[in-house]
Amino acid sequence: MKLKSERHGSVVVLELRGKVMGGPDATVFRDELKKHLDDGIRKVVVDLGKVDWMNSSGLGILIGGLTTVKNLSGEMKLARTTDKIQSLLMITKLVQVFDTHDSVESAIASFSE
Amino acid sequence: MKDETKLIIPSDPARLEEVDAFAERWMDGMPFSEDQRYDIAISLSEAVNNAIEHGNAGDASKKVTIILTPIDGGIHIKVSDEGGGFNPESVADPTEPANLLSESGRGLLIISHLMDEVKVEPCKAGTCIELVKRFSSSKAS
Repeated sequence: MKLKSERHGSVVVLELRGKVMGGPDATVFRDELKKHLDDGIRKVVVDLGKVDWMNSSGLGILIGGLTTVKNLSGEMKLARTTDKIQSLLMITKLVQVFDTHDSVESAIASFSE
Repeated sequence: MKDETKLIIPSDPARLEEVDAFAERWMDGMPFSEDQRYDIAISLSEAVNNAIEHGNAGDASKKVTIILTPIDGGIHIKVSDEGGGFNPESVADPTEPANLLSESGRGLLIISHLMDEVKVEPCKAGTCIELVKRFSSSKAS
């Protein structure tokens, strides 16, 4: 997995790429998220548009991120979930947990002021 | 038809990429669709993760063995660990509201949706997960 982050005002967009399969990926994601949270960022978008596939460990990484952000009274949203990832969210009923958006722009625009 | 192939790795999640590349290379030329290849890759990673984390309890001295076998109309995958045994019945339903925010416990649920056959049972050294995916499979994520 590769991860790139970009700030858009008070929002950080974490773009994941490749295969998200757990192991070292969890540390990479957690460390990058922590860096932005330590800077005071509380609005997070995870862009999944360039993810080839993700397994349950990848879903666990996202849930861990969501819990961390929520515990700091922040919000985390998913953007550009591929059909494969959307299907996994349906199978696992995690559609009930994540706020998903078709584009990064709409995810950014959806944050409460 | 391809020959059966085997890979043995230590219980280290960092080796998952190697397992994925091993299976991808071996499946090259097989008439699976791209979606079916993803289903196999996801399921194999789940089975290996399960063997590392639950079967072998992360003990790097214990091995995980992956055997890929061509069968008539598809492939058979066997992943075995050297742990003390794993009871799939003991896994809490990850779709229950109380478990939705759990960071683990979804692997077998996902495998069962993606593969045509799934069998988890005790074997010689620990637990074996056997999976079948057919070229004609309509099951997909």
